[in-house]
Amino acid sequence: MATLTFNAFSFLQKKLKARHVDCVNAPLEFTEGQTAAEVLKTLGIGPEDLEGLFVNGRIAGLHTRLYHGDRLAVFPPGTPGPYRLLLGLVNSRGETKNEDL
Amino acid sequence: MAQILRINTREKTSVFETPPADLLALGGRALTSRMILNEVPPTCHPLSRFNKLIFAPGLLSGSPAANSGRLSVGGKSPLTGGIKESNTGGLVSQKLARLGIQALVLEDKPEAGESSIVVIRKDQVDILPADEYRGVTTGDMIEKLWDRFGKRVGVAVIGPAGEQRLTAASIQFADPKGHPGRAAGRGGLGAVMGSKGIKAIVVDDTGADKVFLHDAEAFKAANKKWADLLLSHPVSGQGLPAYGTAVLVNIINEAGAFPTKNFRSGRFDKAQDISGETMAENIEKRGGVVTEGCHPGCVIRCSQVYHDKDNNYLTSGFEYETIWAFGAHCMISDLDDIARLDRLCDDFGLDTIETGVTIGIAMEGGLIPWGDSKAAIELLKKVGQGDPLGKIIGNGAAFTGQALGVDRVPVVKRQALPAYDPRAVKAVGVTYATTPMGADHTAGYGVCQNILSVGGSIDPLKKENNVEISKDLQIATAAIDAAGLCLFVAFPVLDRPEGLQLIVDMLNARYGISLTTDDVVKLGISILKDELEFNRQAGFTKKDDRLPDMFKETFPPHNTTWDFTDEELEKATSF
Repeated sequence: MATLTFNAFSFLQKKLKARHVDCVNAPLEFTEGQTAAEVLKTLGIGPEDLEGLFVNGRIAGLHTRLYHGDRLAVFPPGTPGPYRLLLGLVNSRGETKNEDL
Repeated sequence: MAQILRINTREKTSVFETPPADLLALGGRALTSRMILNEVPPTCHPLSRFNKLIFAPGLLSGSPAANSGRLSVGGKSPLTGGIKESNTGGLVSQKLARLGIQALVLEDKPEAGESSIVVIRKDQVDILPADEYRGVTTGDMIEKLWDRFGKRVGVAVIGPAGEQRLTAASIQFADPKGHPGRAAGRGGLGAVMGSKGIKAIVVDDTGADKVFLHDAEAFKAANKKWADLLLSHPVSGQGLPAYGTAVLVNIINEAGAFPTKNFRSGRFDKAQDISGETMAENIEKRGGVVTEGCHPGCVIRCSQVYHDKDNNYLTSGFEYETIWAFGAHCMISDLDDIARLDRLCDDFGLDTIETGVTIGIAMEGGLIPWGDSKAAIELLKKVGQGDPLGKIIGNGAAFTGQALGVDRVPVVKRQALPAYDPRAVKAVGVTYATTPMGADHTAGYGVCQNILSVGGSIDPLKKENNVEISKDLQIATAAIDAAGLCLFVAFPVLDRPEGLQLIVDMLNARYGISLTTDDVVKLGISILKDELEFNRQAGFTKKDDRLPDMFKETFPPHNTTWDFTDEELEKATSF
């Protein structure tokens, strides 16, 4: 069994806390090599809940494979700022990476 | 036609004048920057009689356009020595616009020790003695002025920091509830207002007509779509109202870009304790207000009212930047103490970014311990007391760094860096280095992908494309500032191309002109050219467009460095 550090932000944090899912710097057990999509599914989180996710501090797609010691963080639509662009969340044509999720 | 109102602060006289041709089509930052270039000697001392302080509503201000009530305040900055535009909410912008005032200009300066207030009403401008208000904090001033001149008049006011002409001094503005939580914060324009002996400006638009719309039907149609656009986008419609800008604490921390302990690393282990999520929880538990706007007609309502454990008012307008500056930068994790520090800045009239970074420099220099929020509060109180140590703190990060012999001082053009590390978000680093404003994050905000000519995806940790992105964002931001629009309209407009066209449609309907979206780009470029020219004449060279060497250090967790050359950065300001 592998462990990663899991965080959820904004409305997702509220939702998960209400379901008693640990989501603040939470150690999460999973099978090494699983994709982010698979790991999130076990928590009841699907692509429709997300604007984006971070793996090890970088914006990544749901197909990203996860390994022991990784950081995974998820957030719903609603992040303000040009940081959506500057962090690589939105490509320059204004389409969100949601399509790539 | 709108008039320019000039106040001579020495003679205590006022005069209205018709704007000359080259100013007619300008508003907001476009107007303040053009007038400063035209009228302020670039080499003057910013606290001298030759500097001017200019208040200008934007081109859409006073109209029914959603989120159009922002105000630009401009002058030569005593902090940077270059041109400055500070942008604020509150009530003044819309009231000046309704009174037909295109710009309010404070000129000259009185004998030392004199203090006045300016009261602007329809058909009457008074300059009255203000001796009884010496040393009064901004919140108390607003209360007194609303009692004296009417509830909900527009108020711009300086606190003890501006009265002492300290370079971190802000000008605070009454919000719709009368709290002093809005600020023209950056660059020390509060010191300029203090140098001109003006304690406060009152703007009362009672009896004024509504702003004239050349084509009222077309305006209404465009504005309806505009408001829908703002409300339907998840950022402006849901994210910001629920958590305010503080929602960025956890996001920027996760991205490894949250500058911690004076820019040593990009993650703060206590980020959750000072996050927007925690703030929202506290507001819900204790009372306070989760969502409110900073000016009438705002539909985004990103601001809030934060109470203490006993449900007493602590502060309003509790922003991401402030929480970072007094939080992770200083290793402070007590959100309530950070709120007290924010409140002290409001009361004294201090820029929270500059002051928070300065408190961190005070820790760096051994004046108080890292993370000691109570010591930070006691230190900050000295600014309001006129204490010599308070004068050091109130003059900002570079001044304090020098006083304490500190070698890591995160400033550009002597203005403190805001809440995103340049090594982890490189486009914003380019903006910090190259904007005429000094280290400034709002100078390079986003608008619409039509403006962005960059193909491919953006990697914040690599250099590629980030200079072009910064340049395009600086252009777009300048144009938004000229319109009097809140910068946060950028979020939906970034994703929905029709947003920019709606802004253009409203401008055309308001003035009976025929602008295109290309004209918006041209306007943004012309503003930047004016500002760069002023700075050039003031003596700035390309060596001033650099980040300090401390950013060559490797920055965890991504272990990147700041590695742009002067030549690469130059492209951000070549037009």
